[in-house]
Amino acid sequence: MKKMIEFIRRKLSVRVSLWVVFFAAIIFIVTLGILFYQARDIVRQEAVSRATQILDKTSLHVEGILNRVEVASNMTKWLVERHPNKADSMFVYSRGMLQNNPNFYNCSIAFEPYYFQDKGRYFSAYTRFIGDSLRTIQGGSDSYQYFFEDWYLMPQLLEKPCWTEPYMDHDVSTNTSEMVTSYCQTLRNMRGELIGVINISLSLNWLSQTISAIKPYPNSYSIMIGRGGTYFVHPDTTKITRQTIFTQTLEQPDTALTALGYAMQRGEEGMKHMNIGGEDCYVFYKPLGQTGCSMAIVCPKSDVFASFNRLQNSVGAIVLVGLLLMLHFFIRIITRELNPLRRLAHEAETIASGQFDTQLPDFQRVDEIGQLSHSFGNMQQSLVKYIEELQDATAQKASIESDLRIASNIQMGMLPVKFPTSADRDDVQLFASLTPAKQVGGDLFDFYFRDEKLFFCIGDVSGKGVPASLFMAVTRSTFRTVSVHESMPDRIMTTMNKTIADMNKTHMFVTLFVGVLDLPTGRLHYCNAGHDAPLLVGAGVGELPCDANIPVGFRPKWKFSLQEAHIFTGTTIFLFTDGLTEAMDANKSQFQMERVNDVANRALANHQQEPRQLIAQMTEAVHQFVGNAEQSDDLTMMAIQYIKQQSDVQMRKSIVLPNEIQEVPRLNAFVDGVCETVGFNEDDAMQIKLAVEEAVVNVMKYAYAPGLRGDVTIEAASNDVRLKFTIIDSGVPFDPTVQSEVDTTLSAKERKIGGLGIHIIRQNMDSINYERSGNLNVLTLRKKIPHN
Amino acid sequence: MNVRIEEIDGNMVAFLEGNLDTAAAPETEKAMNPLNDVEGKDIIIDCTALDYISSAGLRIFLGILQDAEEKEGHVYIRGINDKVRAIFAITGFSNIFEFI
Repeated sequence: MKKMIEFIRRKLSVRVSLWVVFFAAIIFIVTLGILFYQARDIVRQEAVSRATQILDKTSLHVEGILNRVEVASNMTKWLVERHPNKADSMFVYSRGMLQNNPNFYNCSIAFEPYYFQDKGRYFSAYTRFIGDSLRTIQGGSDSYQYFFEDWYLMPQLLEKPCWTEPYMDHDVSTNTSEMVTSYCQTLRNMRGELIGVINISLSLNWLSQTISAIKPYPNSYSIMIGRGGTYFVHPDTTKITRQTIFTQTLEQPDTALTALGYAMQRGEEGMKHMNIGGEDCYVFYKPLGQTGCSMAIVCPKSDVFASFNRLQNSVGAIVLVGLLLMLHFFIRIITRELNPLRRLAHEAETIASGQFDTQLPDFQRVDEIGQLSHSFGNMQQSLVKYIEELQDATAQKASIESDLRIASNIQMGMLPVKFPTSADRDDVQLFASLTPAKQVGGDLFDFYFRDEKLFFCIGDVSGKGVPASLFMAVTRSTFRTVSVHESMPDRIMTTMNKTIADMNKTHMFVTLFVGVLDLPTGRLHYCNAGHDAPLLVGAGVGELPCDANIPVGFRPKWKFSLQEAHIFTGTTIFLFTDGLTEAMDANKSQFQMERVNDVANRALANHQQEPRQLIAQMTEAVHQFVGNAEQSDDLTMMAIQYIKQQSDVQMRKSIVLPNEIQEVPRLNAFVDGVCETVGFNEDDAMQIKLAVEEAVVNVMKYAYAPGLRGDVTIEAASNDVRLKFTIIDSGVPFDPTVQSEVDTTLSAKERKIGGLGIHIIRQNMDSINYERSGNLNVLTLRKKIPHN
Repeated sequence: MNVRIEEIDGNMVAFLEGNLDTAAAPETEKAMNPLNDVEGKDIIIDCTALDYISSAGLRIFLGILQDAEEKEGHVYIRGINDKVRAIFAITGFSNIFEFI
C-alpha cells in the first residue's frame, strides 16, 4: 500500500488520470443512482399492475370454471327434475356431463334411499375419467352410504347450492383417491320434495395445476385457501388440505402472514409486501367468486426485479470496465505526452551532475513542453557560459589571493617580530600588534635601537588594501633609511616627508608619529604628523601633547616641529592607529577614545601597564565591543614601557681641556686613571682610552671655528654596571653618530682618511649617544664593567 | 714618542716607540716623511715598542701604504702587540697591511 502511494506520488500521469476517473466515477454513480432509483419505482409499479392483471385473469379463469360447473349442474338438475323416474337416464346425464366438460373430475347424481324401488337402497350415477375413457357406475353401497356425506347434506341444510370444503373422493372400484371440491345442489320433484343431490367435483390437483400454470415470474407461485384457511393450492402439495395458512404462525408467530390469512378469509383483495420463507415477496390476493376461496400469487422480489437487477449489474459492470479503460488510456496518453518532460528531467539531472555539454533532445513541439525545452536549452547555454566565466574569475581570484598572501607575508615580514622584554633589556620593554582589515594593510609600526636610543614610529596610510600597503612599505623603508642619519624626530619627519612627497603621484598620505627615546635619561623627542596622540600610562593616564602638523606625503616643504617630554621609569607610551578608536560594532557605533582611556585606566589600576598586558587587554576589549562585526579598519597598537632603574653613582671625575691637540696626553692619563679606578684590564682600558680620545679630538678639531678657543669637558661616572664618559662642548651643533659608516673592507687605495674615529668609538664602546642640550653638544659613551 | 728609521738589508725599517696618540701624530708624521719618498724598496714598520695608536696614527700608516702602493712597493708591519693589533682589526687595517 505504501509502495502504491509512493508510486502514485511519483507518477504525474497516474495521479491526473486517477483524479479524472474519480470525478467521472462520481458523475456516473450519481446519474445512475438517480436513474436506477426512479427505474426501480417504475419497475415495482409495473410489477404490481402486471401481477394484479394476472391475478384478475386467473381469478376470472377460475370463476369461469366454477361458473361452468354451476351452469352444467343447473342444466343437468333441470333434466333430472323433468325426468325423475328413469333411473337409467341418470347414467346418461352423468356421463354426458363429463363428456361435455372433460375438465370436471366426476359427476354423481345421487338419490334418496329407495327412491328407485327397483334399485334398492342406494342409487348414485357416478361418472369419472379413467385415463381418457369415461366410466359410469352406480356409486352407492353399504360401504359408501353417500347420503351421510357432507356434499349430500350441505345443500339440504343450507337450502341452496353450495361448494363443499375439499374432501377425499375415494373410488372403490379403482381404489383411487382424489382430493376434490364439489358443487352440490338438491334435486326436487314437482312437489318440491327432496329426491336427491347432484354433485359435480373438480379435482383440486387439476385446479391447482391450472392456477399454478399462471406464472407472472419464473419463481412466482400461486396459493388458494378455503374458508377456514386450508390450503387448496400450494406448490408444496403436502400442505394441501392438511395445513391452513395459519399453521405456520403457530410455530413461528408471523403477523404479516396472519394478517394475510385474515384478509383472504374476509374475501378482501389487495397486495402485501412480506417475508415468506426468508425471501422478500409481493403477495397479491383476491377472493374467488362465491366459492369462499381466495387465491394469492406470491412473487419473490428478486424475481420482480430480476431483469432490473440484471440491467443494473450490466450497466454497473460496463461503467466499471469503461472507467478502468478510461484510466488505462488516460495514463498511457498522459505518459506519452509527458515523455519529453521525463527525458528533459533526466537530461537536467545529468546537467546538474556537472556534465554541462549534455545534448538536450529537440522535441519540435510548440506547446508548453516545447517552450520548457527551449528555455532549458537557453539556460544550459547560459549556465555553460557562466560556469566558464566563473572558472576564469575563480582562477584569477585564486591567483590574486595567492599574490595577496605573499604580499601579506612580505609586509608582515617587514615588521619587527622580536620585541624586547625586561629579560632582554634593563631600560625598555616593548610590544606591538598589527591586524590588517584586509589581507594587506596600510598601518605600520617600526622600532630599532641605535646608540642607546630607541627609534620608533607608528603610522596609518590613507586608504586600505594593496595601494595602502605599498605606500606603507615605502614609508617604513624611508623611516629606516632616514633615521640612520638623523637622530631628531622632526628632522627625520621632514626628510621623510620630502622624500615621500616628491615621489607621491597618487595623493596618498600617511599620518605618522616618530619618537626617539633616549634610554639612559628617559628623554623622549617626538614629532607627530597628524597621527592620534599617544597615551602615557604611568602616574595616571593622559595624552602626550602633540603639535598640529600635517600628515606626511603631500607638502614637501613643510617644516615639522619637534617636541620633547620626559618619560619616568615605569611609564608606558601607548601608541595606536584610528583602527582602535574607530573599531565598529554591528550597529556601526565606534569604540571611541573614552573606552581606550577606560581600558588604560583599568590596566593601570590593576598594575598591568606592561606592554604585552596592556595590548592584550586593549585587544580583548575591542573584540568584545566589535563582536561578530567585520573588522572595518587596520588596527595597530604599540606600547613602550621605560623601565630604566638609575643606579647609584659610585665614582665621578671630570676634567676640562682646551681645544688643543696637545692636551690629548692629559686626557689619556685621565682616562687611564678612571679605568684603573673602575677596574678595567689593560686591553679594555686601552680600547676605552682610544674611543674617548677619538671623541674628544673630534670636538677639539671641529666644534669650534678655526682659531677660536673653546673648552671640552669630559665627565667620567660609574655605577655598578657601567662606566660613562660624557663629552660636553659649546660648539656648533654636531652629531657624530649620524656620520656614515666607514667601509672596512675597501683596499688601501680606496680607503678614505676620515671617518675612522666614530667607527672606532662604536667598536670600542657599548653605546654612543648624542644629544643637543641647549647650546651644548652632549656626547655620552658607555662601557659595561666586567664582573669577575 | 720616538721614531727611528734605518736601512737594513735593502729595506727601509721604521722603529716606533711609545704612544702614537693624536697629539703625537703630527710629529710622528713628520718623522716618517722619508718613507714617502722611498722607491724600489720595501718598507717595514717595526711596532715592537708601540704601545698605543689612535686614528690619527692609523692615518699616517695609511698614507705611507697608499704612497708605496703607487710605486708598487710593499709595506710590512712587524712585531705588533695584541692591543695594537686589535685596533688594526676593528678598523679593517689588518686587511690592507701585510704583517711579518
